[in-house]
Amino acid sequence: MSTPSPFRSRIAQALLPWIVPALILVVWQFSSETGWLSSRVLPAPSAVARAAYTLAATGELWLHVRVSAMRALSGLAVGGGLGLGLGLLTGSSRLAETLFDTTLQMVRNIPALALIPLIILWFGIEENAKLVLLSIGVFFPVYLNTYHGIRSVDPALIEMGRSYGLSGFALYREVILPGALPSILVGLRFALGLVWVLLIVSETISAQSGIGYMTMNAREFLQTDVVLLGILLYALLGKLADVIARGLERWWLRWSPAYARA
Amino acid sequence: MLVDSTELERLSYLEHAHREFVGSPTRAPSAVTVELQSLSKHFGVRPVLQGISLAIAPGEFVAIVGQSGCGKSTLLRILAGLEHADEDASGAAVKVNGRSQVGPQECTRLMFQEARLLPWKTVFENVALGLSQKDRVQVGTVLRQVGLADRGSDWPAVLSGGQRQRVALARALVHRPGLLLLDEPLGALDALTRIEMQRLIEQVWQRDGFTAVLVTHDVPEAVALADRVLLIEEGRIALDVRVDLPRPRQRGHARFAALEAKVLDRVLREH
Repeated sequence: MSTPSPFRSRIAQALLPWIVPALILVVWQFSSETGWLSSRVLPAPSAVARAAYTLAATGELWLHVRVSAMRALSGLAVGGGLGLGLGLLTGSSRLAETLFDTTLQMVRNIPALALIPLIILWFGIEENAKLVLLSIGVFFPVYLNTYHGIRSVDPALIEMGRSYGLSGFALYREVILPGALPSILVGLRFALGLVWVLLIVSETISAQSGIGYMTMNAREFLQTDVVLLGILLYALLGKLADVIARGLERWWLRWSPAYARA
Repeated sequence: MLVDSTELERLSYLEHAHREFVGSPTRAPSAVTVELQSLSKHFGVRPVLQGISLAIAPGEFVAIVGQSGCGKSTLLRILAGLEHADEDASGAAVKVNGRSQVGPQECTRLMFQEARLLPWKTVFENVALGLSQKDRVQVGTVLRQVGLADRGSDWPAVLSGGQRQRVALARALVHRPGLLLLDEPLGALDALTRIEMQRLIEQVWQRDGFTAVLVTHDVPEAVALADRVLLIEEGRIALDVRVDLPRPRQRGHARFAALEAKVLDRVLREH
């Protein structure tokens, strides 16, 4: 009996999680080719790949991905920016907390999706409506976690900062903001998870471009392969956003043993 | 020989402290005086400090001992400007460096019970906290003095408890304080690290000549480091003894043991 070399076992470790997905793909492809699985219900993986290739070649795919990503990013920027700003304000000022927090805590219990009829009435079904919906959805997780983060900065560290001559903006920059950052990043990750859900809903309701439009369009023409491709794209973009958020955590929180893994 | 000469240097320093105060070209920090007059402090209706009057000479090392809850930490926090004494008492005054204490002062630095390092800053950046751009060059020197010259780029999370307190000491020293306040900074350290840190604090105090006030519950530590040991009991100064033993002090020494026993007896006496 010989023990496997560390190099080999590392490769095995890396491959192991992919065995099940690979197996599913093989069975799926096989079922489609034998006609056991109707292509109207579920086209073969190769058909999805072909659809992706065709759409990519015409440039249509990139257009839709770009439009969807831009919507997500602008929603994130507007809603996240407002949430961050207001969270910093209510976290730092007692007066602002008394004025705004109760109201915001009430409003946050309304699911963003419940506002869709109202948003359509106010903003129609164009880009503005999508931006508003996304911003509202993203606002709350960022706001709540920023507020909580500021409030839970260790008062001992703030006292230390003051006694070492920091005050005002310097105290904010050196002590309070970095102390709240872990919580703010948690808010960002919640927001990223939410922004895709809201994007899918708003693009499915009405759109002239974007992944949701591409998918709904394909549904009308019974192009199940393109529908699958759209779902896959959402999954990939969501994963990509998560990877970026994790990367930010790793970099900004590299001082913390919990994130310091290489 | 060496011991005597440093001791002499220090004594002559104390004598001339006032003259140096006016302006010596070589010494950056000026040791400050501390004056307390009938200082009182209540938390709500509970009296914590009652009528404390105390004068500390420039360059003097004072240790304050007492049982927990006697008000010794509160006294230190008032000196640091983190708490305010009762204002209604007539004639009460807290003067550091001749000026009335209103808040944290430039010349005063406090070392806390815990290191209170900012975990998101490297050791170097922690020491450089609040320093102006041109004073940052001092950081390396001070880190070398506390024996952490090669740890500047490390995160506080990877340091041991003793190393963290060294960083905290460096952070206080880099400001060249005239008054260094020590709030049981060694309380959480193991016995060996404690003694090491006590030596380090004694060395930097002898070299820089600042005024030092150490709050501790450890009587041997107080006797080992201080020129003067104060005992606070129920918010009042119950004992004020001078420790005139040569430095560095030998803990086994008979006079050391006698002084230690004297203070300890008084601390533990039933009321």
